[in-house]
Amino acid sequence: MLRRKYIFILGLVITIGIAVLMVHVALGFVLRAWWSTPFEVLGFGGSPEQPVAFPHTVHAGTAVLVDTDGNPKLDLEGKEIHGLGLDCTYCHRAVTEGPYASVPPVEFCVYCHKTVGTDLPEVKKLLAAWNNSEPIRWERVHRLPDHVRFVHEAHIRYFTNPENTLPSGEHAMFASAVCSTCHGDVGSMEEVKQVRSLKMGDCVDCHRANNAPTDCTTCHY
Amino acid sequence: MGLTRRQFLRWSGASTLGAVVFYGCNIPDEELQIESPLGMPEEGLALGAENWYATICGQDAGTGVLVRVIDGRAKKIEGNPDYPMNQGKHSARSEAGLQALYHPDRISSPKYRENKSGEFRDISWEEARQLLADNVSNGGTAIITDPLSGHLALLVSKFAEGSGATHKAFKSVEEAVLAKVSEEVFGEKRLPDFDIANSKYILSFGADFLSTWQAPVRYASAYGEFRQGHSTRGIHTHVDPRFSMTSANADNWVPVKPGGEGVLAASMAYVIIRDGLAPSSIVSKLTDGEGAEHLAKFSPESSEVYAATGVDGHKIEELAHDFVDPHNQPSLAIGGGSAGAYTSGEFNLKAIYTLNILANNLNKSGGVRFNPDSPLESLNTDEVLAAGRPATLKEISELSSSGVQNVIIRGANPVYGLAGNGNFDSLLDRAKFVATFATSMDETANSSNLVLPELNYLESWGDSIPNPGPGYQILGLQQPIVTPFQEMARSFADELIHLSESLGLGLISQLQINDDPTIRGLVRRGADQLWSEGRGSVRADSADGFWQGALQRGGWWDVDAKRVSSANISKMENAWPSIEFGGEKGDGANTFNLIPFVSNSLLDGSLSNLPWLQATPDPVTSVTWASWVEISKQAAEEMDVTEGDLLELSAGGLKVKGPAYVHPAVPPWTVSMPFGQGHTVGEYAAGVGENVMSVIANMVDNGTGSLAWAATRVSVRNLGNSDGERIPKFEGTVEAYEVEERHILQITGPNGDSHGHGAH
Repeated sequence: MLRRKYIFILGLVITIGIAVLMVHVALGFVLRAWWSTPFEVLGFGGSPEQPVAFPHTVHAGTAVLVDTDGNPKLDLEGKEIHGLGLDCTYCHRAVTEGPYASVPPVEFCVYCHKTVGTDLPEVKKLLAAWNNSEPIRWERVHRLPDHVRFVHEAHIRYFTNPENTLPSGEHAMFASAVCSTCHGDVGSMEEVKQVRSLKMGDCVDCHRANNAPTDCTTCHY
Repeated sequence: MGLTRRQFLRWSGASTLGAVVFYGCNIPDEELQIESPLGMPEEGLALGAENWYATICGQDAGTGVLVRVIDGRAKKIEGNPDYPMNQGKHSARSEAGLQALYHPDRISSPKYRENKSGEFRDISWEEARQLLADNVSNGGTAIITDPLSGHLALLVSKFAEGSGATHKAFKSVEEAVLAKVSEEVFGEKRLPDFDIANSKYILSFGADFLSTWQAPVRYASAYGEFRQGHSTRGIHTHVDPRFSMTSANADNWVPVKPGGEGVLAASMAYVIIRDGLAPSSIVSKLTDGEGAEHLAKFSPESSEVYAATGVDGHKIEELAHDFVDPHNQPSLAIGGGSAGAYTSGEFNLKAIYTLNILANNLNKSGGVRFNPDSPLESLNTDEVLAAGRPATLKEISELSSSGVQNVIIRGANPVYGLAGNGNFDSLLDRAKFVATFATSMDETANSSNLVLPELNYLESWGDSIPNPGPGYQILGLQQPIVTPFQEMARSFADELIHLSESLGLGLISQLQINDDPTIRGLVRRGADQLWSEGRGSVRADSADGFWQGALQRGGWWDVDAKRVSSANISKMENAWPSIEFGGEKGDGANTFNLIPFVSNSLLDGSLSNLPWLQATPDPVTSVTWASWVEISKQAAEEMDVTEGDLLELSAGGLKVKGPAYVHPAVPPWTVSMPFGQGHTVGEYAAGVGENVMSVIANMVDNGTGSLAWAATRVSVRNLGNSDGERIPKFEGTVEAYEVEERHILQITGPNGDSHGHGAH
């Protein structure tokens, strides 16, 4: 009789324990998403699937390119192939001029891919879109809430001015270095994902570190 | 633990609610996408960034707009806060300009057919220009356009002068009577402007100035000032045989008998003079020293006055006294719309505007004002002003007997708008060559030999001197906001300049636009001249700076350049007007006066092809996407008509049908129907409702020859509603109720008797 009672209590404790744990896990997930980037489970966070699997490693990176097995890619002469190392602003042209970084028009991609890599499956998707006069609908990776106005141009202007310095003490002379402050080393990402929380605290910390205004109306207008 | 049915329901309800809430919190998929545009943007254009450009609205007369442009495409049209005519306000008509720009009916290439009933074939512009030049060089050309202003009016009048062509401005529901009355009562070439905002008492006749008449956006915004902007709320009395939007807004609506507006105004003038309520110097000029005796036949006691107006003598006395009451000064009388659209139209408006002379409000705050001449002398000539004045029906009819061989039409749709009146169909039949410049296909383009795709107003250059203007000098500028949506479309003005060169008229050197022989060059030359004046809203060190500044603001104006009108008061007419009606004769049962009205959104039918405007509910009835017949409750009971029953209005063999809209505020002797529906061409216009113009009798105003569109009597037949058709309307979807603290003050009966709401 006594044993049955203990088993019941034990069962109850375990059940409550599991319930409490589950609530904590859920709470932890929400809090993490609230304060930072969410855990990459169940389609949250991470890299969304893009209509064309565009590799920033090939275009923007400078490192040796590797195949799916992790072996370095070699050219016809047996040399390792490096990324092109294009500046971010080569494709995201509006970023130094206006609020939005802008994605390049399909035509812009075709300038090179009319002849380069035309047999690659992803490039074929691009050329098909061009031939059918269809725009490409990219999935957004970075998105700020509607009540925030973030102007890329002002940030790039500030950090590319040699008179100003980054919080680290470095002078950021190239726009691409400024980009990586918030977006991380995109050139090394096969699939782009968000690396900083980009929550208000994140913005305000950086504004304070650089003596930038922290009035509400700086961003909320 | 058992789960009761009730608990189960509660839990399942809660989880469904939770699911809905979580789904609602989610971001829609399309917001998480960025579209990569197809082609490269223009150099220096930041993708995704918005720009606002100022221009003139081509769909709502006299309105200045700002257009939001993203990636080279127009996205939104709003009022220009700087522009004096509308000061940031705008109407649904302006906003729907986007639909005109992107319309699927836009003409993609010049089209030609030898025979007006044959098949069109696409041709090149070279061929089209050749056809125009070959035909026009034979002489006998008539040019029919919308009423023009600014440099386009100058260009067209110079072209007409040089080539010997006749130019007529066309508007189906025209106000040619008002233009003439303005000249005769005030001695002014331009239309009167009203300082509604600063008036204390407005007496309006027929003019639906809060909805469609003249510059409704400007007047409606001034009306807000008139009602709420001062310590005392302005009082408004509206005299109209129809319960219009303006009637609905007035404190006091007088449903006058159709055509009796002038008699009512003359009777009021009699009372004012008889009781010595007007300055004697003015009275002696108006009556040539005779005094009240001059207008004795309009005495409110006269039974003839009652018969003509249906308004009780006491009511007339009350109206007259209110109009000149010192507490109500400055007071203002406005007349137009249906009040000028009878055989007695000119008499009516003359009598109405004479009330302003009696109230001595000319040039005064809260009174009648006139726009000064433009500082650009070339735009002040009689020919240029005439290009902006709609032709009367008489003038249009005369065209068909004047040996016209070629007709060039632009921005006008007389085949639809006249619906057989004015011999217009025979003019087109007889003409050898009919060319139409149009943005979209319409009835008139469909009756032409040559159809030429024209640029939309958001794609082309131009300018505007609004008439009536804001009371001071102004030149509004129209600039291309976007690159042409239809690549083959061209500017009418530029093609006219090209045609004049082919004909060897020498217009380019005459207008001094050798550097830039386009309408842009012509407008720019005018702007340079304004710059050299060194005054007004834009000042700059260079002509280029002035041009940029004026384009950014939407034009140039000088608030100090006003005009003091020196009205030459002449003797007031006192002959009893002849008020006649066409259509059904006699006072038989089921015979009514037909009072058509300009649709709040579609106007006279020029905007019917825009779905946003079709879907905009009529302000009085809330009807959308239809035409309808407004009939009084009393008549409906007698004829056993319920809402939705199909009514057939016939007048002398002409017929038009529409579903009945039974309305308690329709006078029992009238029926009403909106203009604008019943098109036969147009993706969204064709097949919606019927064209009320097709039943209007060919009656004209005796004084001017203008179409008397409110002078038709019709007999009404109930065709029933066997299919159970309903009128598409908003009204009735929310239950109506009277706000507790806001009682209806007074309901005025058709005979002038009134009773307070509390009497019940």
